[in-house]
Amino acid sequence: MNKDDALEVTSLKAYYLMNFFGITREVRAVDDITMSVRRNEIYGIAGESSSGKTTFIKVLAAAMRPPLQIVSGKVEYRFGGRTISPQSMRDDDLAELHWKHLSYIMQGSMSVLNPVRRIQQSFVDFAKRPLGLGGKAFQDRIEEHLVDLQLSPKVLRAYPHELSGGMRQRVTIGLATVCQPEFIIADEPTTALDVVVQKDVLSLLRTVQRRMGSSIVLVTHDMSVHANMADRIGIMYAGRLVEEGPTRTLFTVPKHPYTAHLVASLPRIGDTARRPALEGRPPSLADPPSGCRFHPRCPLAIDKCKTDVPPLVTVGEGHRSACWRAADVKPLMASAANPVTA
Amino acid sequence: MFSVLRDLIRYNIEFAIGLAMTCFIIAFAALSFFSPVDPTLVYTAIPDRPPSWQHWFGTNSRGQELFWLLTFAFRNTLTFGITVAVLSRIISIVVGLAAGYIGGWVDRVLMFFNDIFVAIPIFPILILFYFVLRSDLNSFTLALIMACFGWPFDARLIRSVALGLRHREFTRQALFAGMSPLKVMFQEHLPYVMPIIFATAMANMIWSIGLEVTLAVLGFTNLSIPTVGTTLYWANNHSAMIVGVWWWILIPVALIIVMFVGLFLLAVSLNEYIDPRSRLRRMGA
Repeated sequence: MNKDDALEVTSLKAYYLMNFFGITREVRAVDDITMSVRRNEIYGIAGESSSGKTTFIKVLAAAMRPPLQIVSGKVEYRFGGRTISPQSMRDDDLAELHWKHLSYIMQGSMSVLNPVRRIQQSFVDFAKRPLGLGGKAFQDRIEEHLVDLQLSPKVLRAYPHELSGGMRQRVTIGLATVCQPEFIIADEPTTALDVVVQKDVLSLLRTVQRRMGSSIVLVTHDMSVHANMADRIGIMYAGRLVEEGPTRTLFTVPKHPYTAHLVASLPRIGDTARRPALEGRPPSLADPPSGCRFHPRCPLAIDKCKTDVPPLVTVGEGHRSACWRAADVKPLMASAANPVTA
Repeated sequence: MFSVLRDLIRYNIEFAIGLAMTCFIIAFAALSFFSPVDPTLVYTAIPDRPPSWQHWFGTNSRGQELFWLLTFAFRNTLTFGITVAVLSRIISIVVGLAAGYIGGWVDRVLMFFNDIFVAIPIFPILILFYFVLRSDLNSFTLALIMACFGWPFDARLIRSVALGLRHREFTRQALFAGMSPLKVMFQEHLPYVMPIIFATAMANMIWSIGLEVTLAVLGFTNLSIPTVGTTLYWANNHSAMIVGVWWWILIPVALIIVMFVGLFLLAVSLNEYIDPRSRLRRMGA
């Protein structure tokens, strides 16, 4: 394991294994992913709906429930010199790990606050035990933290429905970061917000992250969020990581046809050209195509793509791509050098 | 706490009326502690006197001062209703939350018994208990028995809410943050079902008192204990309406209506207060 790495995932396979009346069905939502996240880094995971993003981070967060199971591979964290593998931990130790070291901003985080409990009570419920502070010290800590998030300590007295969407989102981020975790997993943290509030919330999240020096895995299908936030991006397609690289590289010289299309789909100010749309839909994860899973929709597909699975190989400085024809992938837009900001 | 009460009285007219009515009944029942007469004795006063300054509620055909008799009757009936409501609430909360939250075989087993209790005919069983226990059947025993039958509908109601709560994001987040299932149930989910518990508690009190009155009027309870039901039983036994002793029936019935309406208004307005989303609508803060 690299010294700078906070998280290392090695050939991880996590399937939904279901057994209905003797017929076993498996949905290969995460299939053979190898990646790592460095300390003090925002790692973006992009991909369309049903590409396995949420499943992947559920595994990362060790918040799996049956039928989801790890079939093979491992997930390892490195917190302050200790190497921790959540999949082999007991529930008690997991409870110790979660929130204090590893926190999770959930999808639909607008609704993670209990509507009949005051914000104060939510903080007590989630953060009191991991923080290990009592009474006044605890109160000071959370109030200080809220001020950092540009929230008045008065929100502690409020119920969630009394706050605006942006405030609720900041409270959720506050809950997830108040224990200063080394690792934060954020699943579509801003999907329900409009772009102005989204920008505020994201920059706040980044400020908090930089100050604490923690790592974030940020999952969203919104490429403009990735362009603004992520240091590195991993592109997922049908349960596999198809390309990974530094944000700028990925936007300027994508080395996978899927990424090229994804980047080309971004709107640019002043550009009125029609966007080339990909034919077809994402494949079913219960019955994925053979070979490269992207080949039925890929304009560059050759016969080899139908039979052989392309490995994720290095194609440049910190840049990996899983495509047999990576050398032939060209950016689809001349102006792709300037990813638009949200 | 005190300011909450003050605000409720100021902004919520139902609460103010309900509180006044309930307090009146409670105060009336509390007078029994100062009663100069023993309610179990008969012919301590001249029978069949109509209400007057000397006998506020009149006297009945058994020679009892109706005012003091009714203070005891209401104390016993109120205690009975509250006991049934509290005990059956405990069962329905535990069963409902556990079945809804834990699910799986726990849910199936609990709901199996729940449905058995739903299907059991309560009235014949209570009569059966009377015949078996006879003079051992005091108010508290009857309350215990009725609590054992008064929970299943409400447990199902609470379960249905808990089922929905289980899949809400805040439950997942609480579990992720390492809260134990017990804490999730009682800290996160219980406040959510509190309005249901209050509403059903009042309905349950009204149900249990009604059933107790029915049993007593038919003579299937311990008739030496003064309750609203036994008072009506003796009135009926002495053909009060035919003889013209109307106050023996009218006054207890009027008082019990005050009690029911008071409890109902209190329940409705408290529900509104307990649910923070509807509280704001009325008070605006």
